[in-house]
Amino acid sequence: MTDLPPGLDQALSAVAGELGMASSSWVFVRAVARCSGDEAVAKLAEEVGPEFVVLEAIARAWLAGEHEPKTDTAKVIEAIGKATRVVVVGLEVAWLDRLLDKLPASVKIALVTHSGFPVDWERVLDNYAGRVERVDLDTFQHWAGGKSALLTFAYGRAEDARAAVLPLWLRACGADVRAQFRSLVAWNVLPSPLDLYPRRLVEVDADETFTHFV
Amino acid sequence: MHAIGQALLPALLVVTLVLQAALARYRLLIVMSGAAASCLAASMLGLGHAAQILADVPWDVLVILVGLGLISEVFVESRVFGVLAMRACRWSGADPRKIALLFTVGMYSHGGLVNNLTALLLILPMLLGLYKLVGVTQRYVSWSIGLLLVACNLGGAATPIGDFPAVLLLGGGKMTFTAYLVRALPATLVGLFILVTLVVFIVRPERGMSKSPVSAAITVDTMSALYRNVRIDFRMLLPAAAALAAMIVAWMTLPADKGWTPELICWIGAAAALAIRPKLGERLLRRKVDMEATLFLLGLFVMVVAVRRSGIFASVAKGLVALPIPPIAQLVVFVIAAGGLTAIFSAGPSMAALLEVADVLAQKHPPNTVYVGLALGVCAGSSLFTTAATSGPLAQALTERADLRDAEGNQLRFGFVQFLPVGVMSFVVIETIAVGYCLITAR
Repeated sequence: MTDLPPGLDQALSAVAGELGMASSSWVFVRAVARCSGDEAVAKLAEEVGPEFVVLEAIARAWLAGEHEPKTDTAKVIEAIGKATRVVVVGLEVAWLDRLLDKLPASVKIALVTHSGFPVDWERVLDNYAGRVERVDLDTFQHWAGGKSALLTFAYGRAEDARAAVLPLWLRACGADVRAQFRSLVAWNVLPSPLDLYPRRLVEVDADETFTHFV
Repeated sequence: MHAIGQALLPALLVVTLVLQAALARYRLLIVMSGAAASCLAASMLGLGHAAQILADVPWDVLVILVGLGLISEVFVESRVFGVLAMRACRWSGADPRKIALLFTVGMYSHGGLVNNLTALLLILPMLLGLYKLVGVTQRYVSWSIGLLLVACNLGGAATPIGDFPAVLLLGGGKMTFTAYLVRALPATLVGLFILVTLVVFIVRPERGMSKSPVSAAITVDTMSALYRNVRIDFRMLLPAAAALAAMIVAWMTLPADKGWTPELICWIGAAAALAIRPKLGERLLRRKVDMEATLFLLGLFVMVVAVRRSGIFASVAKGLVALPIPPIAQLVVFVIAAGGLTAIFSAGPSMAALLEVADVLAQKHPPNTVYVGLALGVCAGSSLFTTAATSGPLAQALTERADLRDAEGNQLRFGFVQFLPVGVMSFVVIETIAVGYCLITAR
């Protein structure tokens, strides 16, 4: 029987805000698989999954043979289109890093520095070496305009178009904000819909909420 | 009047220190009010007006502390501490024993060069984050963070620019940079070696923790992800390091009696380090000067100067040298008393007050022995209780904020009680070294 160390839920909550729930889950799943094999990954999903549903989904994907996150940027770049300013709501570093590699340097990027988890935002921004500016919920609308896009990360999409997003998205994107941005883009970071109740997330109608869901 | 002053002014100092410790949230207000009351009392008793008291304040010490604090901030901005902490995690393989060892040695090295509070404020949250990943116990938290704080104190006492007591010796011209360094550095290194051996290899804080390769792998991978693109800004780090190195060379070689006083060297060095990146320098000057520490020390100096003018320190020194014991025993009593007083009143007040007594003892013993013995005694006292040094309450607050929990979900704490075993052990070790140093070098 594979034994996992105690306190993995605490460990995940320490970094889920700074790396993103999906990105940190990938780190955890890979490390567990490398040290103890797939049986331990299944146990991780069982023990920590109810608390972190995103990890459960990623562990399930791992066991189904998917061993790398899908971070193809083509569709999201297409969705951003000709926007010259992108405000990112929420953080998933595995996806954001890849996007910044592909986006032209002329596209300015801002990150809404707000999270339900503890985050060292200075360290987050240090990783982007000046490429990403810091905004908060009070100031991100200064970035609004006809050439601006709002981007967030979605955690799976069900057949009825329900998608899980961070509660931060609902706080940021009210009726007043929606009209101020050229496009509202959701980038799905999970390969399949969530099986469990979306703890720490909220469900929205993807068709009504976003101009683009990729 | 003289007798009233000898009773009233020390009483004002003690009441102020007790009040500021008891009501820490009003610390600055209490100390500044105590300083104003001391000035008023001294003036009314004919012991000197506020202008005369202010003229006696060791401004040179404040200049050195502010200057070194600003250089520390440049180091912080260069991201060197964060990157080093991440590398320490990788080198240790997330092994709890190696983590404790590496961070302890790192904090000692840093404490000798720049402001250890700045480093603690940056390193401790990172270390606590690391603890969340590793999964730690109350025993580990108490001993490892306790050892870290003692290492800060030892590092601060190791060099003449490490912490306030040593800076006071340098700034006041009691000892030269080199004279202090060659004596205090080896003594504190011995202390560090003994304490690390006792804690890391005998107490073994990690005892009872699960040694899981999964936990280690997750910790190392996560730390690497957190710092995946963070790089040290060498354009910021190198000029600041060069300025600090130049300052140290200047302190060791330029003659103070020709005007190259320690505070002037620090002032020029800090200005040069900030001027290399003017935008950053201006921002740091406006926002990052540690006003709390500076005002606290200013208020403290004012009170100590007023007490000195009452003649009480001279009386205490006279009483000490009149004790019917051999002179070397008087010195030992003084060093032990320095530790005890520091444990109660903290390093700043104790050092400022005891220096007056040390000057008298320095007439009967080699001055370097007395001053280094005093600095080591103060270091021992700073390490006894969490309340004896600013780093203690800071570590307590940061640990509570981190909301660390053990495997059973119990909150892990770091406070007075948890630190006490580390404090008692450290006090005994460092005080023994201080006394031993005096006994060896006074002959």
